[in-house]
Parts: sequence; structure tokens; C-alpha cells
Amino acid sequence: MKKKDIFTTSAFTQNSVWRQILGICSALAVTNLMLNSLVMGLGVIFTLALSGFTISLIREYIPKRIRMMVQILIIASYVIIVDLFLKAYYPEISKSLGPYVGLIITNCIIMGRAEAFAGKNVPIDSMIDGIGAGVGYTLVLLLIAFVRELFGFGSLFGIPILGDWWTKWSIMVMAPSAFFMLAVLIWIINTPRQRRG
Amino acid sequence: MANEKKLFRETRTYPVVFMIIITIIFIGILATFYQLSFAKVQKYRETQLKKMVMSVFELPTQNIEIDFAKYITIFETEDLMYYESRTDSILLGYCFPISGSGLWGTIHALLAVTPDFKKVMNIEIVDQNETPGLGGRITENWFKNQFKGKTLINNNVLNNFVLIPENETAKDNEINQITGATASSKALVDMIYQDIEKYNLKLRANL
Repeated sequence: MKKKDIFTTSAFTQNSVWRQILGICSALAVTNLMLNSLVMGLGVIFTLALSGFTISLIREYIPKRIRMMVQILIIASYVIIVDLFLKAYYPEISKSLGPYVGLIITNCIIMGRAEAFAGKNVPIDSMIDGIGAGVGYTLVLLLIAFVRELFGFGSLFGIPILGDWWTKWSIMVMAPSAFFMLAVLIWIINTPRQRRG
Repeated sequence: MANEKKLFRETRTYPVVFMIIITIIFIGILATFYQLSFAKVQKYRETQLKKMVMSVFELPTQNIEIDFAKYITIFETEDLMYYESRTDSILLGYCFPISGSGLWGTIHALLAVTPDFKKVMNIEIVDQNETPGLGGRITENWFKNQFKGKTLINNNVLNNFVLIPENETAKDNEINQITGATASSKALVDMIYQDIEKYNLKLRANL
């Protein structure tokens, strides 16, 4: 498969969120602000790319029976690096993301890509696949966050867009709206596809 | 040679050895990163706290290290810790770290009071995990500034603030609560009452 195809497949055609319904837990949790979603997305892209690369690099040596333990160990290490980096250099963002950075470890997308792709392909391809899946995930987060922040806070990336006349929708700030938004998004994207056949 | 290696990889010990080695490698990498970032994280926390102590006394925060040393003295006894602020040997007030449980986690705050304990100077939230946009609004200025100048102790009785709806006019013993976040507003008012009573009793005995 060509490098470009690997990317588009994992980012769009087989998008982890709207095609495979993976990683929705964090997609629901951090999407009330655009900035948080972007940082979360970047963290996931970093972890996916490097864990894919590392797992693929040692895939010949990983004993089959304990491969999940090894994958989790590698994924967790990269996530902790992201967490430490944010704590040291972007403490404000780290504070507002709270425990969700650490919870990237349990994000099913990463484990899913490790199992489905990195364990069977060469390191560079695995890295591209990881970046693709991460970009697809970030895209979903940003789409949901766009609506939630705009209606919930009247701003985008913390910059006020709607004036004082705007009555902020509390529901958009809280978790339930994320469920609605995600469901609507999946519905809109998948309906034409199902019509086609 | 190749044959022997293949044999070892098929033994039961191979996964154990593999796991031990890979754990050591990754823990090593993490420990290095932790060591590299630890000082920076710690420094940031200290500076943030110092800035907050300075801001509750409405003192300048530009040269935080110099100014903090100049104006603030930290008192620490066995069971209580507080900050005292002086300018040109005039006592400005005391600042107490207070804490209590909010809706999702512990809220840590700083409360500054006048030297006679009678009035609240300022309140600052150090750490909270309340719902963003709802309880999280306890960090907003309009909410914190309400406490400024409120009577804390009246005729030796500690004032317990009463919560009233967000858009009503508050009297001296009242605080406008955050709409949709009664629990967080209540938590803050409660922790002021409980912790200041504790400090009040102990400090009065000591001073």
C-alpha cells in the first residue's frame, strides 16, 4: 500500500471515531473547549505515531502471548512523557485537561492500531498509520468542540465570537451535549455511505 | 547458533525475560524525563502559590521572588501554617490556606483577613476540579470579589455567609451563588466558616 493511502485510510475511510466507534470516551470528555481538544488531539497523535513505530520495530521479538502487556507498557510510557511535558511547559493546559491526558493510555484507538496495524507492518508505515488515525480523531474532537464552545461559551479558542447578547447554553458545556453532538456527527457522516450501499 | 536462539525464544522463560528487559528500558526513559521536568514543575507550583499570596494582599507580583521575601513572612507551627504580610513594619493582614470538598474534588483556597480578623481582604482559589463553566466559575473575579470587605467576625461571632440567587443584591452577610453550581458555591462558603473558626481559635490562643 502507498504511504498516502495508509494515511487516508486510517484518517478518513476507516476513521477510528465515526467508522469504528473507538476512543469516544475522551471525545466526550474534553470537547467543551477548542484548545483542550487540540492539545488532546496532538497528544494522541504523538502517542499513536511513536507507539506504532516502537511496537512495529520490535514486533518480531514480542512474544505473542504477552503482546498486550508489552503494547500497554509502550503506550503508557509515551503518554506519561506527554503528561510530564505538558505539566512542565504548559501547566495551564495540563490543569484544564486534568486526568484525561493520563487516560490516553486507555484510549482504544491506540491499542486498536497497535493490534491491527503496527504488529504486522514495517515501522515507517505504522507511524504514518498512527498519525492518520490521530488526525482523524483530532478532526472529530475539533468538530464537536467547535459547536460546543461556540454555543456553550460564545467563543472559539477562548476568543469571544458571539457578543454579550448571546445566552450561553449550559448544556453545551456539560457532558450530555457531547453525546448528542457525537451521535449527530456519526449520523451525518454515515448516512450517505449507507444509502450508496 | 540460529537454532539455539530459536529454541530460547520458544521456552517459557523468554516472555518473562523479554518483559523484564523492556520494562527496565522504558522505566529508565520515564525516570529520565521525570527528573528533567521535576524541577520545572515544582518551581512553577511555588511561583503560582507565591503570586496568589501576593495577590490576596493586593501586593505587586512583577518581581515575585524579591517582593515575596520583602513583604511576606511564613509562620508554621505544628498544626497550622499561615502567611503574614507587612509593609514598613505595618501589619497588613493574615492569609490562611483553606480547603474543603467540592463537588468533584478538594478545593484549595487562600483567604486573607485584616489584622483584627474582622474583615475579609480577598479570596483566591489555588486548586479546584469543579465542572468547567459551572462550578469552575468559583475562580471568576465577580464571584471571588464578592467576599472582599465582607464582615467575617462580628461581636466575636464568626459570620456564616448565606447564599442567595445570582442576580439579587447581596447584603453584608450574603453571597451570590453561581446558578447551576450550588454545591460548589456552598463548598466554598462552608470551608471558609470551618477553617477560619479553626484558625481563629488557635491563633487567638497563641497571639
